[in-house]
Amino acid sequence: MTATKRMTAAKRHRPVRRRSDWKVALIFLVPLIVMYAIYFVYSTGFLARTSFTKVSITFFNAVDVGWENYRLLLGDPVFLRSILNNLVFAGISIVAALTIGFFIAVALSTGVRAKRVFYVLFLLPVLMPLSLLATLFNSMLQQRYGVLNTTLEALGLGALAQPWLTDPGLAFGVVSVIFCFLIGLPILYYTADLAALPTESLEAALLDGAGPFRIMRSVIYPMMTSTHLTVILSLLLGSFRALEVVLFSTQGGPGDTTEIVGSYLYGWSTSAGPTVGFVAAASIVVLIIALVISLVQMVITRPRKGRK
Amino acid sequence: MTAITRTTGSATRRRKTVERDPLQRIVTRRSERVVIYVLLILMAAVFAMPLYSGIVKSLGVNGIGNYIALLTQPIGNVSIWATYGNSLLIGLFHALLVLVVSATAGYAFSRLEFPGREVTFSAVLLFLAVPGIAILVPVYSITQQAGLFNTHIGVALPEAALTIPFGVLLLRNYGRNIPMALTEAAHLDGAGHFRVFWHIFLPLSRPALANLTVLCFIWSLQDFLWPAFIFTDPSMATAAQAVQTFSNALGQSPSELAMYNASLILLAVPAVLFVLFGMRLIVNGLVAGGTKE
Repeated sequence: MTATKRMTAAKRHRPVRRRSDWKVALIFLVPLIVMYAIYFVYSTGFLARTSFTKVSITFFNAVDVGWENYRLLLGDPVFLRSILNNLVFAGISIVAALTIGFFIAVALSTGVRAKRVFYVLFLLPVLMPLSLLATLFNSMLQQRYGVLNTTLEALGLGALAQPWLTDPGLAFGVVSVIFCFLIGLPILYYTADLAALPTESLEAALLDGAGPFRIMRSVIYPMMTSTHLTVILSLLLGSFRALEVVLFSTQGGPGDTTEIVGSYLYGWSTSAGPTVGFVAAASIVVLIIALVISLVQMVITRPRKGRK
Repeated sequence: MTAITRTTGSATRRRKTVERDPLQRIVTRRSERVVIYVLLILMAAVFAMPLYSGIVKSLGVNGIGNYIALLTQPIGNVSIWATYGNSLLIGLFHALLVLVVSATAGYAFSRLEFPGREVTFSAVLLFLAVPGIAILVPVYSITQQAGLFNTHIGVALPEAALTIPFGVLLLRNYGRNIPMALTEAAHLDGAGHFRVFWHIFLPLSRPALANLTVLCFIWSLQDFLWPAFIFTDPSMATAAQAVQTFSNALGQSPSELAMYNASLILLAVPAVLFVLFGMRLIVNGLVAGGTKE
């Protein structure tokens, strides 16, 4: 529906609109309110309360410890490192999305053949279980029988075979690469917005005889700032959810070099003993980070309202 | 998203879109076309590497026999069919919960006037980004209190809670694009909001509801976190979880590794099927949810 149509519909609607349907609205919102009350409001309160105690997963005999859990958390170099790693991995996947992802989206929109096949291949990694994707990487990169090393040896390039998962630098690279496999969503965002691109400047560039790569870089790329933002924020937020990527490829190792926030929390959640208060404190910190990014996203992407 | 659906068009439609869409005219020289194809194929090959290497490895010892064995007998008490079933059942509950909440809330946010509507909606969106792991501790306690360990609904509930912000956003955006005149006419005929919701809003929102349903199934299929904590009984394993179960059950000998890789490939099958047959629904849903109107 076009904007003008919608506007006239709204105008026509206004005079007959009833005062306020807040009672009806409340009824319609009951399911939402129930779910939010339990899983977000109650949960946050529960976390806050638990974060000041020392308690095991049975939640019995909680001992009040004040801010001790937060002190421990913020003094733990592994936690700080996991946040930093998280941001670095997100950053690397963002760079990949803004370059490779953008190119793929434009290239697929220029009328290539077998487009569907390409889309399936680029989307599969992000739509199959992440645990599975990471495990496939893990299996492929095993030092002794992994497909990558055996292939290199078969090609007489045995010197290039590496301990991919046990060398800190290489493991970090491996996790970065897996994160770069998750750019399917950005490709979709670009594709959707490319279809809605104003055509005038493209036509002008075509008349000037600019080549395709030139047009991609100098004409289309600058026109998609709001899409770039959507891509950046969605990957940043996604990275906090992607604990399986690390868990099933490097398990955070070697040492703690590839730990991310999700895998750090998972590790403590599965460890025995009275660590639940500590996990709750870490959860509160992660929640705050996620909500802040979410808030930033809302403020920044607001102008989109006017555009669409 | 139209760019993707367009692939299915006939040759004449294709010619027409070429004329209209300048994007399809930016590649003029043959050499440039070749470069683009080479780059695309190269990247597609890289993206296919993990699956390809899994397939190679799975056929290394015993060949196709690994697949037959996996499909006919359980590994470590877990049958691959049961993992599919568990994932799908959770997906069903997940989708039902999300559909009910998103449709009702979507109606309220798009078709009803009430004070504080936009502020409330923003508050709802704030939780779009909550990582599941951050509410693990309270969900564990809730599951305990409700006695929902080792039940499918126990896993579907937290999954739904995390999907609902997205679902509400999707349905609210969709609802706003339904012409006011339609519901207006019904109201003038004396229909109340519940009838309008049931007879006009729901049928007209069917495309959005379909997108959401497919996404719920995909996300249940992907979810590792909640089954890992809520299913303490290994025989309940979902597809995403079985990756771990099978790895624990199978050893490191070459034949067992081949078997393990075959199990990984089989666990990818539902996702592949969803992507192949539900591509349009998935794409439309994700794109509509990603661009916050």
